[in-house]
Amino acid sequence: MSTPEVPAPNSGNPGLSNSGLSSPPPAPGGRNPLALVVAAVIIAGMLYFGFHAARRTGANGTTSTAKSSVAPDFTLESLDGKSVRLSDLRGKAVLLNFWATWCGPCKIEMPWFVELQNQYGPQGLQIIGVAMDESGKDDIAKFAKEMGVNYPVLLGKEAVGEAYGGVPALPETFFISRDGKIIDRIIGLKGREEIEDSIKKALETQPVTSQVEATPAPPVQAQK
Amino acid sequence: MLYYLAVGRTIVAMLSGMMTTKNKSLLAVLLVSLTGSAWAQLGRQPSVTMASVPLTTTPRATETQVPLDFRVGADFHINSNTPKSEFLIPTTLSIDVPTDIVLGRIAYPPGQDLKFPFSPDETLNVYSGDFTIKVAVHPLHSVVPGKYVMHGTLRYQACDNAQCFPPKTLPVSFEVKVVKEPPAPRHNPAQSPHAHN
Repeated sequence: MSTPEVPAPNSGNPGLSNSGLSSPPPAPGGRNPLALVVAAVIIAGMLYFGFHAARRTGANGTTSTAKSSVAPDFTLESLDGKSVRLSDLRGKAVLLNFWATWCGPCKIEMPWFVELQNQYGPQGLQIIGVAMDESGKDDIAKFAKEMGVNYPVLLGKEAVGEAYGGVPALPETFFISRDGKIIDRIIGLKGREEIEDSIKKALETQPVTSQVEATPAPPVQAQK
Repeated sequence: MLYYLAVGRTIVAMLSGMMTTKNKSLLAVLLVSLTGSAWAQLGRQPSVTMASVPLTTTPRATETQVPLDFRVGADFHINSNTPKSEFLIPTTLSIDVPTDIVLGRIAYPPGQDLKFPFSPDETLNVYSGDFTIKVAVHPLHSVVPGKYVMHGTLRYQACDNAQCFPPKTLPVSFEVKVVKEPPAPRHNPAQSPHAHN
């Protein structure tokens, strides 16, 4: 038998606070309101600059802050059960596409990637899809088959997403030069032409020749 | 640049105790605009919120529907409960009910069939703006009259016109006041015909 639950004074719907209904008057000798205003300005400014820096995009929608940094290395399992290590692709231009089966905009890009892999593969392009699904391998494989994907699809891990900035929304695509550096990044669905332009830039890069430079960074510990 | 210089000068003036009414006004305007800009950056994250639910009173042994009102943030949509593709994540509500309160049918509204820039050739069945899910609760006869809080979660997956966000869950709760069922209609015992004169 149930007995009534006595709600706490502020119980009710989470996220809907009643803090705005009444607030106690400031205690005598409490905080200076001006100091609070200063703090608010500083916090707002930090938020503004922080987000601007993190998500600053150029005219073509790519993120300038991501350029020239070494692409975090990882090893992930592909749909056919092989282990694929990003640094093993040094010498190739890599398009690294984070996607998911539940992502409608990702679905638009996939036929483009199929065509671009066919078109630029002989010149050294390797497209890699990283599926960030919670669903199983079978669903991802079924989806990829329906889309006619002709490039490796890897089973994504949260740690890999974190290494690439968290990947808060999909699709997100990184363009990696032949020497393993991120040279461009596109967030969200953009035009095919923009993707192709970034591929061309990646293909124009030169692979490293020095043994020291070619040493990849330690791989991301891809544990979900 | 002048904008930020103005911010700096205003803060310095304020900190040095020389803040005039004019400076205060300027500070207020700058604060609002700065906060607005920051919020605009943060605002790209999708949000689904639930409105406050008025207390619903339900007699024991009776099923009562509780409407839950949700709002999807501007420029975003979430899949309906019956999206058109097996790969899309449906919006689902799950509620935990106390013992002896039975959860009835959860009635989802029909979604809107909309086309998006990323799906020009097919429509998606989605919720955007405001939508209401009705939850049926049925307190059994054994429930002690009083107020009960139901807790649950709304699971949804949001997109805008160019990108999609990972599935999220929104905590949901509402309160139901269970009262005694109304007395049954009195059953008059059969009367002897001899009772009537």
